[in-house]
Amino acid sequence: MNPLQTPRLAFSAAIVGYGGAPIVRGVDLEVAAGSFVGLVGPNGAGKSTLLRSVTGAADLLSGSVTLDGESVARMSAKERARSVGVVPQTLPVAFAFDGRSFVQMGRHPWLGRLQDLTDEDHDIVEEVMELTDTARFAHERVDTLSGGDLQRLTVAQALAQRPRVLLLDEPTSHLDLNHRLQVLDLVRRLADDGMAVLAVFHDLDIAARYSDRIAVVSDGEMIPARPPERALEASVIESVFGVKAVVRTDPVTGTLAITPVVRRADVERPTRGRVGVVCGTGTGAVLMRSLALRGVSVAAGALNCGDVDQAVAVTLGADHIDLPAFGEMAPEAELAVRQRYAGCSCVIVAPTPFGRANVGNLRAALQSGVPLILMGEMSAERDFSGGQATSLWEQAVDGGAVRVGTDAEALDAALGLLRDGSEE
Amino acid sequence: MSTAPGSARRRLAIATLGVLLLVAMVLAVGLGAVNVSPADTISAIARGIRGEQLVQSDAVIWQLRLPRVLLAALVGSALALAGVLYQALFKNPLADPYILGVSSGAGLGATIAFVAAGTSFASRSFGVPVGAFLGALLTIAFVVRLASRAGRADTVSLLLAGVAISYTLSAVTSFLMVVFRNSMQSVVFWMMGGLTSASWQNVWVVSVMFTIGAVVPIFYARELDIMLLGDERAGQLGVNVERFKLIVLAAASLVVAAAVSVSGLIGFVGLMTPHMARLVLGPDHRLLLPASTLAGAIVMVLADLAARTVLAPVEIPVGIVTAVLGGPFFLWLLVRKERR
Repeated sequence: MNPLQTPRLAFSAAIVGYGGAPIVRGVDLEVAAGSFVGLVGPNGAGKSTLLRSVTGAADLLSGSVTLDGESVARMSAKERARSVGVVPQTLPVAFAFDGRSFVQMGRHPWLGRLQDLTDEDHDIVEEVMELTDTARFAHERVDTLSGGDLQRLTVAQALAQRPRVLLLDEPTSHLDLNHRLQVLDLVRRLADDGMAVLAVFHDLDIAARYSDRIAVVSDGEMIPARPPERALEASVIESVFGVKAVVRTDPVTGTLAITPVVRRADVERPTRGRVGVVCGTGTGAVLMRSLALRGVSVAAGALNCGDVDQAVAVTLGADHIDLPAFGEMAPEAELAVRQRYAGCSCVIVAPTPFGRANVGNLRAALQSGVPLILMGEMSAERDFSGGQATSLWEQAVDGGAVRVGTDAEALDAALGLLRDGSEE
Repeated sequence: MSTAPGSARRRLAIATLGVLLLVAMVLAVGLGAVNVSPADTISAIARGIRGEQLVQSDAVIWQLRLPRVLLAALVGSALALAGVLYQALFKNPLADPYILGVSSGAGLGATIAFVAAGTSFASRSFGVPVGAFLGALLTIAFVVRLASRAGRADTVSLLLAGVAISYTLSAVTSFLMVVFRNSMQSVVFWMMGGLTSASWQNVWVVSVMFTIGAVVPIFYARELDIMLLGDERAGQLGVNVERFKLIVLAAASLVVAAAVSVSGLIGFVGLMTPHMARLVLGPDHRLLLPASTLAGAIVMVLADLAARTVLAPVEIPVGIVTAVLGGPFFLWLLVRKERR
């Protein structure tokens, strides 16, 4: 095998835990030189335990953990520390070392007993402090620094080990927005230059943004590492975290953006009847979420694929009809929507613009015969349907539709109608 | 406060403490029932070293005071060194050989050896330090074991376990003294913490034990620093934590045993001096180890001087002097830590 393709760090059929009790089983994971692998999963799933098993702080109960093919269990602590740098989640700070002495401790694995730091050691310490933007803490006591500054000094300390493998446990938990990007961009750059990186993340967006592959740890098992868009599919997030989320590509970063919508447990059993919503372009997202959280099932009409409201409807499991992106509603679709709305206590018309594509939803709502709740006003800016929407709106107003302004008012009105319905 | 000691700063601090220790020792040798001026003290010591004929006042200095002062310095050094080691190892500013029960363990070990060794002078002077060492080692192992949950010994459990064990072992020691009271008269005063039985024989035995126990930690100065970041972090930075602990605990037990086997239970020196050194000089162990060792010697020489001169001709056990100073100091530390 090409030596460049030998995984730098490899778990193979590993079972890790503490004192004989397994925490994570069946771990098969390879981190090659130059790759960045993320570990995600619920609290207490054993992500940190996996990391800790590399440095011997957690027990390897079965299988193997190897560095360049050599078992870490057989390495001396010093030998291992020359290859593996760790950035732990938190450090106790009951010590009065200054920033430079603190970072210099990272040179320990390279120094003999009684040997002082050489010029080369000092150069490395300078360099990593520069890289992590911590040079100005050289003479400050670390126990007076903020959590974020200490975390960056800890990154510097780990880098001073000149490791080939970097393990990070929630490396940005104490960092502000600016330093989060700084530290992670740095780690990404190190990976691009050949470092093997394995990092635990709580923030799925950050994990997706920086990792080449992501392994999900859940229920004492590890789902093998896959590219972010496959590792973090909505179905995985729902089954692992119990959260229904919208997963889409962030237009700015071009990486996955995960927006949690509701906890699955909160919407599992709709118990309070059914409300229709006419929406689109995100005007119904908040409303649908609020209804779902109150145990109301939602019928969302016909929605174009790629529309935010469509994504939310899919996530919530709301009854709706998918239209192709930019596609128009066929008469059969309009009929189907009308039948769905007819089974609702009322239909809320969200302040979505109407065009030929979706005006059928409004017509279906009007013709379904159930009470309507109209949000906002109809105007020329909202009507791209050549006057159809305006005319339907006026009919609805004449028919005694409830008029409201905000999502909250619409929700109140709908819940009121639901109650009236159930009292009859 | 700058905490990165350049080697110049390190040399200066150690040289200053060295000079202070010499001054304290000359003073302590000179003062007592018969006062000798510093100049006469120095010339008397010089005569003794050159092997010249001793005049009568020299005999007091050479046979009584000098071994006693040397022993005080050694005992103080040993206790302070052990304090530094325990504090780094347990990341606990309140750890010292007395509070952790190690001194009591060494005391019991020494007492048992005293009883077992019979009246032979040779077996006593060899057996008592060995007994003290074993007692110290077993006690610290037991206390750590008692206080540990899942491999971690937290501050409060460590102190509680230490104090509890300390009382128990002291009680057993007292019991032995009552049972074997005929052979134990000298032990009673010794256990209260005193240097009255100082002899050159003691000085040599303690010197050897202390030297062995003191050289080892020098090789581990950097590890002692790193251990302050916690066991797990130390392991990540390449410290073999288990082996390190074993070696350092053994070294600390050896110096404690050296101290206890000649001076009984003397509290708080091991607590106070490392603290004072750390406050002034920062946490770097390459500086802290020698500085605390010297400071411990100074404190002990002065405490012993006070013990035998304040109420002269009555002599106070030196453990009482250190406790009177150290108790309030310990409370101050405890209160300060609570408020943080």
